Amino acid sequence: MAGPRASSGFRRPRFWRRLVPAAALWLLGFSVGVHAAPAYPEETVRRGQYLAVAGDCTGCHTNPRGGAPFAGGYGIVSPLGTIWSSNITPSRAAGIGAYTESQFTQALREGIRADGTHLYPAMPYPAYTGLSDEDVHALFAYFQQAVAPVDTRPPKTRLPFPFNLRVSMVVWNALFLRNTRFEADPSKSAAWNRGAYVVTALEHCGDCHTPRNLLMAEKSGRAFAGGPVKPWYAPNITPDPISGIGGWSHQEIVQYLKTGAVSPKSQAAGGMAEAVSDSLQYLHPEDVDAIVTYLETIPPIRADTDTRAAFDFGGPADFETSVRGVDTGQGSLAGGAALYSGNCASCHQPAGTGTKDQTFPVLFHNTVTGASQADNLISTILHGVDRDADGHRVFMPRFGEESYIQPLTDEQISTISNYVLQTFGNPNVLVSTKDVATARKGH
Amino acid sequence: MKVPVVTDGDVTADVVIIGAGVVGAMIADQLVGEGQSVAMLDSGPRIDRGQVVENWRDMPIKSRAGSDYQGLYPQNPYAPAPLYFPPNDYIDLSGPDGQSYAQDYIRAVGGTTWHWAASCWRHLPVDFRMKSAYGVGRDWPISYDDLEPYYCRAEEEMGVSGPHDLALQSPSQRSRPYPSDMVPWGYSDTRFARVVDPHGYNCVPIPQARMVQPWNGRPACCGNNNCMPICPIGAMYNAVHHVQRVEARGALVLADSVAYRIDTGANNRVTAIHWYDSDRRSHKATGRAFVVACNGIETPHLLLMAANKMNPEGIANSSDQVGRNMMDHSGFHCTFLADEPLWFGRGPEQTSCMVGFRDGAFRSEYSANKMILYNITRAIPATEQALKLGLVGQALDDEIRRRVAFGVDISISLEPLPDPNNRLTLSKTRRDTLGLACPDIYYELGPYIHKGYDAACDQLRHIGTLFNATEFAITTKLNANNHLMGGTIMGSDPKDSVVDGNCRAHDHDNLWLPGGGAMPSSSVVNSTLSMAALALKSADDIASILRKS
Repeated sequence: MAGPRASSGFRRPRFWRRLVPAAALWLLGFSVGVHAAPAYPEETVRRGQYLAVAGDCTGCHTNPRGGAPFAGGYGIVSPLGTIWSSNITPSRAAGIGAYTESQFTQALREGIRADGTHLYPAMPYPAYTGLSDEDVHALFAYFQQAVAPVDTRPPKTRLPFPFNLRVSMVVWNALFLRNTRFEADPSKSAAWNRGAYVVTALEHCGDCHTPRNLLMAEKSGRAFAGGPVKPWYAPNITPDPISGIGGWSHQEIVQYLKTGAVSPKSQAAGGMAEAVSDSLQYLHPEDVDAIVTYLETIPPIRADTDTRAAFDFGGPADFETSVRGVDTGQGSLAGGAALYSGNCASCHQPAGTGTKDQTFPVLFHNTVTGASQADNLISTILHGVDRDADGHRVFMPRFGEESYIQPLTDEQISTISNYVLQTFGNPNVLVSTKDVATARKGH
Repeated sequence: MKVPVVTDGDVTADVVIIGAGVVGAMIADQLVGEGQSVAMLDSGPRIDRGQVVENWRDMPIKSRAGSDYQGLYPQNPYAPAPLYFPPNDYIDLSGPDGQSYAQDYIRAVGGTTWHWAASCWRHLPVDFRMKSAYGVGRDWPISYDDLEPYYCRAEEEMGVSGPHDLALQSPSQRSRPYPSDMVPWGYSDTRFARVVDPHGYNCVPIPQARMVQPWNGRPACCGNNNCMPICPIGAMYNAVHHVQRVEARGALVLADSVAYRIDTGANNRVTAIHWYDSDRRSHKATGRAFVVACNGIETPHLLLMAANKMNPEGIANSSDQVGRNMMDHSGFHCTFLADEPLWFGRGPEQTSCMVGFRDGAFRSEYSANKMILYNITRAIPATEQALKLGLVGQALDDEIRRRVAFGVDISISLEPLPDPNNRLTLSKTRRDTLGLACPDIYYELGPYIHKGYDAACDQLRHIGTLFNATEFAITTKLNANNHLMGGTIMGSDPKDSVVDGNCRAHDHDNLWLPGGGAMPSSSVVNSTLSMAALALKSADDIASILRKS
């Protein structure tokens, strides 16, 4: 697994980041029971470990600030209060050491803890419900046998009324939970079926990439069409060549999943950087290939307003003569070109080309600047990039208020964003200072 | 979270710190962590990195070629710092070697860590015992062992990369490893070391407050080769990191606030420090503990300026040592063209250094030295030289490239001894825009330095032969290195020193003067890490005293 990373402010801005006050359905821990862990064959445990990585359990259940693996206690600051992830180590006192396999299965597939309490679907049980019996068994074996028990109880999550009423989840589940296992389509190849299983159940890609309805359930008919994961945006990953990733080659998508970067098209940040760092990079090559095989066949979805692929905008800039020798006085830099030059060009280069080796990526023909939403551009500037994949730590410092490099104001960030959009990206997108202020707060 | 109280522009806090540079900011960080309320005043503005980067890019080539690290930084008009392009004559330099004390420093939040090479050297254990070991200079009242834990902590606070290999450490007496292994050597360092090391010059990596991997919110150094005058990407430690950390935890940081008066009361304890804001209005800060950490020039300057009835010769100055013993590493350069391409100028500006003559019995007679392999790109001097040859077109390009690749610049530092005659005083004639007396400095370097210079020249000529050097040149005028030391010197005897081993003023129970001014010996190495270690030691002292009271 990826090693511990320095704190990067916004960790885990996944699906639950959508859970703004309108509809808050949150994760809470498992509880305690009494049972002994049986011994499982090494092969089963190893398989369970792989599945745990593929399911990215660590994403929420390991505190990135030096927490023990799967001990939970990762505090998620939300508008409703702090949400604490649960301890899923085999500790009998604080974790799931006392769970029976059927209790574990019920938690995973139906979102019901051993004590009968309902989980919020921040725990992706609506996806995990598709997991096969064999895989659930292997996961159980892994967690009971190979994970070190940690007897520390994470703090209790206390949300205000009405979000504390877990009983409402019964209704939600009745409406939205399809408690059925993944079924292979015999008319499709083995690779396609494997890909469908990994995408829909194990990696729960739709959690972020499928837009949600008002009750926070995935919108039917809009699978993988993209949606906000505040303050980021999970893009359309259907094979539509304009709105989706139909313009990407098979190999490009494979490379992106393994490394988080395809030059010049896109670089993973936010939740996708975590998914790559914690999970996707460790998948077997045949599983990655299967994911792409499947994604290439899902129904393409086009946004009416999109006219060009996000990676098809912009070109190199040439602003040097407009900013050189101009007396900016001793105050602040004025204008997008000057702000870009002073704060961004040292790495991304004055022309926006990035460096030759693309350690610092090109800004044009880039989905972050060419997207129809500026969320990922704003959030990259505010919160930076932190990705650990392919043997490299990729790090762009944040320019939000905690920045050690330069804390930029909302106005400076909106000015830079608009300059970048006009010059390198989608000129139809405009960023307001309010957009930046909102993204700064994380929602 | 305990926060300072502000009433009508006056401030009350547990701890009042003057100077938001590396020393002040680290002390603030420690004491905020102790739950104390902290107010920190800095005479200069807050700096916008992007603005300074653009100012640098807009600088005329003459300023760049002359290493103008000052002119690109905005100044508070009420708090001047030295400027040289053109000179503002803020400090009047006199004496035979006055011009060797033309210092660079920044008066701004973050201080001069805005433009430093981030070199984080430790003194050698023997550097603390110069008088006992070599019969010259002074002994510190504390030993290397006393300061060692604080060196470790300072390295951890700043994120220092240094060699894990004991054989490459100078000194190797360490209780904890560096936070990260050394910044890897490039071809130039490796090749140079291979040629000179068999002759005892002992090339070692320079410990430095930057890393080649992301660290604590800082990006990896990517070798812009521009540490001075500005790291354009913020990979290098800057005291603003600690400033931001303390502000986020409730400390009050006031920029453009020029301290000028210090009140003392019962038992000569400090009761208040007064400052002018940017509208020239006067305010005062009261507190339980006071820290003056401006720098090696501005701290004694303020103490002398703040003379009051009870302390007519200046604050903390019953010993008459405030402003005396001014030191800075006397520098000079050796340049030549090697007989092979060495490609200096890639990576950070300083990566390796010859320490073969950092210590030895000779120190009883003349100065030790350290010789930095200057890693600043030779592009500008190479171009100037090639142009002088009258070349044009491709021949000019080729010659510039050749000179950049083959060029060597060695920056040598010598160790001045503390001499009470090297003295900062208040000008009787010159006043700044607030009407405050400007500093005058008299500086004279004696035979200890001059003999050290001669010895180093012999070594350099030998090094030149190892590379079949052409155009071999050694500068004859000693230059400043901006390592300000000595002006509030530390000692055990209040009669001949200003502060004790914790940098607490002998004259005032609740006043600390940590930083370079306290250092009784300068060694030959950059002073920042020692200053930071002294800051942390002071912070522990302040914390324990505040806990008791």
